[in-house]
Amino acid sequence: MGELFASSAGQDCTAGKYLPHFAEKSRHNLGGWGLGFFRDGRARIEKSSESVYAGGQVHDGFLRLARVVDSRLIISQICAPQADRPKDSLVLPWSAHFLHHHWLFGFRGDSRKVLAYQSPRPILPEALSSVAARVWEFIRDGMEAQMQVWPDQNLYQALALTCQRLTTDYPGDYLFFLANETVLFVFLNQGEVLLYQPPEARGEALVLTTVSGGLTGDPDHWLAFVNADRSRGQLLIISGADLLYQGHL
Amino acid sequence: MCDLFALCANRSHGAASSLPLFAARGRRNVHGWGIGFFRGRQPVVEKSAEPVFRDGRAHDSFQRLARVVAKPIILAHIRYRSSGQVDECHAHPFALDFWGQSWLFAHNGEAGAIESYRSRQAPRLEADSDSARTFEFLRDRFAEAASRPTHPTFLQILQEALAGLIRQYPGEYNFLLSNGRFLWAFSNHRQFLLLQGSRKLEDALLLTTIEEGLSPENWRTISLREGTGGKILLIAGGDLVLEEDLWPLPACPTISGQGLPVRQA
Repeated sequence: MGELFASSAGQDCTAGKYLPHFAEKSRHNLGGWGLGFFRDGRARIEKSSESVYAGGQVHDGFLRLARVVDSRLIISQICAPQADRPKDSLVLPWSAHFLHHHWLFGFRGDSRKVLAYQSPRPILPEALSSVAARVWEFIRDGMEAQMQVWPDQNLYQALALTCQRLTTDYPGDYLFFLANETVLFVFLNQGEVLLYQPPEARGEALVLTTVSGGLTGDPDHWLAFVNADRSRGQLLIISGADLLYQGHL
Repeated sequence: MCDLFALCANRSHGAASSLPLFAARGRRNVHGWGIGFFRGRQPVVEKSAEPVFRDGRAHDSFQRLARVVAKPIILAHIRYRSSGQVDECHAHPFALDFWGQSWLFAHNGEAGAIESYRSRQAPRLEADSDSARTFEFLRDRFAEAASRPTHPTFLQILQEALAGLIRQYPGEYNFLLSNGRFLWAFSNHRQFLLLQGSRKLEDALLLTTIEEGLSPENWRTISLREGTGGKILLIAGGDLVLEEDLWPLPACPTISGQGLPVRQA
């Protein structure tokens, strides 16, 4: 399935304390790793199809990036093993530019049905059998279509209605992180997302992950958002160090 | 009636053309002005009790500030006194700390009932007006919510606070509230005008209460929905991220905020 990580802060900030734990705890996922962030308003991604953990150590490149990358929003994904060794380009997170923003997208989930979705403008045409690629295209296309039909709509409504259509038209398990330079949206209709406010950040940053038990020694310090009803997902809106909104579709 | 202005962008953005237009179109407000923004986490407010527009031109200092301030979020307020004295201390925006952050607040509307509110929290604002008491009321509700074990979202607390405010102290509330990273706007009596996608503004967004907007462009009017207690907007970067009615109608296509789940044993 892969695992997801995000950090959100009011100002550029590293996630050097939590990303190595994220890699260690996701070590069973051998399908590569990616780290996405924002620089000068543009999405940047560093990724590798190599395993994030080998020989008892976290990948050297991942560790160095964890220490150095500072950004208001960081999304990292450690991908599940694939039948074939994946190309770097197919490792998540991915980025795209739409609705006047650069966006980062990390995903875990499964749905055979969504593979039937054919985007008029494929983002990753080479990823024919990738559920994540079809979901990414569906979200981009859906939000653009919503905004075209109803330009006065807010981002949340465009995304919520798109997610509603996704889960109705293509039932399945979906959990994704979607971020532009200032806002992180989290959608899930299965599984759980854990949220943590690092005490050392003094209210200036928060960390999210799908890794069970969280990334610190005490799971009770992590706030869990659980979704069991696949037909009724939930959305979170985060900006800076604040959870601004949480609600079910 | 006072008027409100906000500029929101992803990056630092100037308001050299829009702020003077705001001053000109809001010239009937003759009891002071203020411009607020954040330097890092610190709020910065420049304000005056003098009219923002006189003898056919905007106040000299207002114009100078309009030319030099460039931030991701800029708030401005021009005042027509309905409560409190006419002096610099009663001009908006006001600044207070809560929820672990500093906030700027600018208000318009007559809300005489809230003048009797006495906060038990410190500090209290020096101004003796409905706007100052309203800001303290909101601050106090957030301070109380901080100790709740259920970890409510910011929107939940704001909705509860506003519902309580209007129930206990009926009045006209139309305000901007920002921590420098995002902006909340609320109104239960006036419309907002919003401009997005303007070529001059690039990726920035403008919000104002000036009825005709600040330019001949395609300003969107955000009005209250009948039967609701008000309209809440969340703006981050150059986007309107969320638009909620204070008491949503069942027909609303979105989503009811719920109590946050706590970790299950």
